[in-house]
Amino acid sequence: MASAGESGDGADGKGVTTITIISSDNEAFEVLEAAASMSLTIRHLIEDGCADGGIPLPNVTAGILAKVLEYCSKHVAAVAASSEAGSSSNAADAAAAPEKEEDLASFDKAFIDVEQDTLYDLLMAANYLEVKGLLDLACQKVADMIKGKTPDAIRQTFKIKNDFSPEQEEKIREENQWAFE
Amino acid sequence: MSLKSIVRELKEMRDGIGSMSRRGGGSDGRAGHGRAGSRHSWPGLWPEPQRQGQGQRQEGPQQQQGRWANLPPELLLDVIQRVEASEATWPARRQVVACAAVCRSWRDVTKEVVKTLEECGRITFPISLKQPGPRDHPVQCFVRRDRATSTYLLYLGLSPSLHGENDKLLLAARKVRRAARTSFVISLVSDDFTHSSSTYVGKLKPNFLGTKFTIFDSQPPPDAVVLPNNKPSKRKSKQVSPRLPLGNYNVTTVTYELTVLRNRGPRRMQCTMHSIPALCIQEGGKAPTPTGTIHSLDEQLSTLPASKGKEPAIEFSSTSLSADLSGPACTNEAPLVLKNKAPRWHEQLQCWCLNFRGRVTVASVKNFQLVASVDPSLNIPAVEQEKVILQFGKIGKDIFTMDYRYPLSAFQAFAICLTSFDTKPACE
Repeated sequence: MASAGESGDGADGKGVTTITIISSDNEAFEVLEAAASMSLTIRHLIEDGCADGGIPLPNVTAGILAKVLEYCSKHVAAVAASSEAGSSSNAADAAAAPEKEEDLASFDKAFIDVEQDTLYDLLMAANYLEVKGLLDLACQKVADMIKGKTPDAIRQTFKIKNDFSPEQEEKIREENQWAFE
Repeated sequence: MSLKSIVRELKEMRDGIGSMSRRGGGSDGRAGHGRAGSRHSWPGLWPEPQRQGQGQRQEGPQQQQGRWANLPPELLLDVIQRVEASEATWPARRQVVACAAVCRSWRDVTKEVVKTLEECGRITFPISLKQPGPRDHPVQCFVRRDRATSTYLLYLGLSPSLHGENDKLLLAARKVRRAARTSFVISLVSDDFTHSSSTYVGKLKPNFLGTKFTIFDSQPPPDAVVLPNNKPSKRKSKQVSPRLPLGNYNVTTVTYELTVLRNRGPRRMQCTMHSIPALCIQEGGKAPTPTGTIHSLDEQLSTLPASKGKEPAIEFSSTSLSADLSGPACTNEAPLVLKNKAPRWHEQLQCWCLNFRGRVTVASVKNFQLVASVDPSLNIPAVEQEKVILQFGKIGKDIFTMDYRYPLSAFQAFAICLTSFDTKPACE
């Protein structure tokens, strides 16, 4: 039995290569190489030939890794589908393209609608693994969480302590008074 | 090691070990991914020690510094850039100011993200009101006069919005009468005009005849030198300060002259901008641009020019910080002089006309347009000389528009417009 994870020899024998990624808590995830390569970090490791036997990620736990890989798989499938539709002469395929884009957008929206702790972990993982689309999605989500909030509300939401000196605090309060007038 | 692929339901995983754990580096001993990992910071795993400011607040249980406070700077930058880009207009723009008020790291990043008014065309912090406007297009504002309280309010926007809720108040001024003289006090808020208040931004004082006005800024303009007071009585004590304190700095002189037609013709206005060098209107020129907070001294002028011998370059009475430094706060170069564009007499309409491009719709002696008046020897191109740097005029009862651009700031523009309200009968 061919060991899954070796490039060029997919476990299903169809010529589709898969990669194994191992979380910090020793869970293994088998994914398409194309999906895993959405992470530049992982892609470089594959290119460097470090993928044999699986790629360990000491900084990402299983739960978050699963989420990240789900994102990557979904997006890679979407890219594949749209390029198929692009090269297909089938009018129905072409017509379905914008709909599929909408599907992806609503997937993303639901995907990033998570608890704050998870959002933080996803943000850090996307940054570390260099998954640009996910990083943009997570950063935008944080930006959206900030909008509409006063400084106090922002601090409460993100559990940030006010570390200004009393003098600075005074100036900043005036600044805010002017801004929120 | 089992390499069997495991796919779990997302919810299960989210409820389980969702947080980064310190345990378990790769169990197969494969450490050090070379390119990967080394360039990314992991503050969640290695928290920075808390910065201790003066007068540290008592840490309540709800205020523990969570990991969000230690977001890697590049991520915080990305997030705040997104907020700044999307909240471009007021009132939403206050969100950017809110970000700068969260904590020190957020403030640093926000200040880094927000460009000067000239660069980005957006008013963000109060200091934007003292920064030169953009070169390419004017900042369009309007002024509302309240006769009952002698208050003048400057708002950002083309004209008053329908319900007035979304109008952003930039500055407020109140005419104050002391003995026979009036002056205007300019403040960031509409309900506090005291000199000692931190919202005090500057003032405007006319001479007795109402033909000459001096505009005082509460902060010294950057790169300015204050010339010595020419009033010997103020030299109570000599004090050399390495930094100019908050006080009142003469930044502009506005004069009005009657023309030959006296009461029947337009007035002639001249503004000498002591703190703005004439050459700055050239392409590539730079007008003084303060940064930092509107009351901060740190980013302002910090050195005085060396003078001959050991005489201090300025003398400042230590008895009162709000003493007026009547000598102008100057640049070392020739200052920019603005003159009003002469209206043309329209024979058919029988009135004086200026092309306000639709921004002024009611005839009034208060209406004016200012352009630069430059010495030919400075070789400033004609196109720069023709630009209307400040335009002010009436659009309705007690409502005026004010459009200003580089190199004037909102504060200077507003103060100049206020002079238009206060000229005495000698000039009208």
